[in-house]
Amino acid sequence: MDPHDLENLNTALDHEAQLREKIKEQVVDLDKKARTMVGMLNKVHSIPYSQVAGLVDSVYLVLRSTNAPHTALADLVPPNQFWRWKDMWTNSLRTSVFVAAFLEYLSKGTLISLASTSEALGILDEWKDRFTLPIEDYLHGLITLVNELSRLAVNAVTLGNFQEPVRISIFVKDIFAGFTMLNLKNDQLRRRFDSLKYDMKKVEEVVYDVSLRKLAQPPDPPSG
Amino acid sequence: MTSTAAIFDAFRQDLDEHNDRRERLIKASRDVTNISKKAIFLLHRIVLENVPALDGLTPALRAAKAGNENLRQVQQIYANMKEELVGDRFWRYQHQVSPGLQEYIEALSFSHFLEHGTLISLDEVQQTLCDSKGAPYFPLTISDYMLGLSDLTGELMRYSISGLTKRGGRLQAMDTLGFVRNCKADFEAFTPYVRFLSKKQSVTAQSLQKIEDAVYAIVVRSSEYDLSPEMLDDIVSQTFSSSSADRRGGRRNADSEDGFDDENMSF
Repeated sequence: MDPHDLENLNTALDHEAQLREKIKEQVVDLDKKARTMVGMLNKVHSIPYSQVAGLVDSVYLVLRSTNAPHTALADLVPPNQFWRWKDMWTNSLRTSVFVAAFLEYLSKGTLISLASTSEALGILDEWKDRFTLPIEDYLHGLITLVNELSRLAVNAVTLGNFQEPVRISIFVKDIFAGFTMLNLKNDQLRRRFDSLKYDMKKVEEVVYDVSLRKLAQPPDPPSG
Repeated sequence: MTSTAAIFDAFRQDLDEHNDRRERLIKASRDVTNISKKAIFLLHRIVLENVPALDGLTPALRAAKAGNENLRQVQQIYANMKEELVGDRFWRYQHQVSPGLQEYIEALSFSHFLEHGTLISLDEVQQTLCDSKGAPYFPLTISDYMLGLSDLTGELMRYSISGLTKRGGRLQAMDTLGFVRNCKADFEAFTPYVRFLSKKQSVTAQSLQKIEDAVYAIVVRSSEYDLSPEMLDDIVSQTFSSSSADRRGGRRNADSEDGFDDENMSF
């Protein structure tokens, strides 16, 4: 190989290795924040309903703190290279989506949109080719939310909140119906979607239990 | 339609578009692999032809010319793919594009070696993947370049060993040996940076050893006779032509295309 070419290649590869290190630093930070949020949200299964609003507020603060590392990543990634590096932060990004969606459900009972999720994570539109929230990762976050809500349905009953499973059931069915509109190919998302039916079943059983014993009111007919 | 339904409906279009593009690129990449593999066979075939010079071209130059001709089909495929790989899309579909691209680089570098006797540079590869104005269809990555070149050493092993029976094949094997040895040494520095390269390096090491063993045999045997390589060639080709005349009842080229296939090449 020509010595000049050899040196050019080496320089380019060194540069890439340095960039990887810098991205890694941010990702480590994001991973830490993601774990913190999941740990905090775990309390939702054991605290009375009246304390949920306070928990939502404190988790939201941590969620907002992901904005800084997201901005740093957008600055680090060279133009058009989003997909080259995204595997490094996919896990923490999906966790953040889940957290944002969970907070939205807990505070408003509604499904967060992709645009609102991006906003909560401080991801700007103009970063599109360097740092963005892909649909796929948003959908992964929603599936995690359904997994978690099926657990909440059970634990809410344990805490004496009999109405919660009914709310969850309606919400989760709505998301499930949304997923059935997609043509998913055989990948991880598809497999996780396939597992949603078990969560649905679990929630249904709880609703069945509480309504049979007249512990919960039947739901209002869904509007819209 | 509920608001959820509206959200997911928009996703469906986006996901469908993505999956369809992915499928198209996989197919195109398979075509690239196919053409490139055939081009490599073509190169091996022509370079072994027992016609020293035709139209003033040596077999190696004839092979390179025909090979480059074939690889133009690949370049056309990439030209057509350009829109699918524009902007951030290249990196999104890199996993789909890589395998074909590496096969193409293997073929192209082999052809380049036969023509110039050198290793093709990254810029030279990139230039074959540019439109008439010199704008690249997509950025060529160092990783694809290195992994493609890494496969070249296997072809060079076949080339030098299959060529041993040919006039001038012994000298050629010795030259190729040096070249492959340099390749292996140069690539070694990149193994920490380029994924899968160290695996390919071990294949290169095997190829290298096969050439080394072949060249060793040549040196040992020719040392027993105090003759020039050309005279040795003469003796061997005389034996060949008389024995094939005996066996087949007629004159035939010692190394016609018969039997030139994978089995015979895996020494």
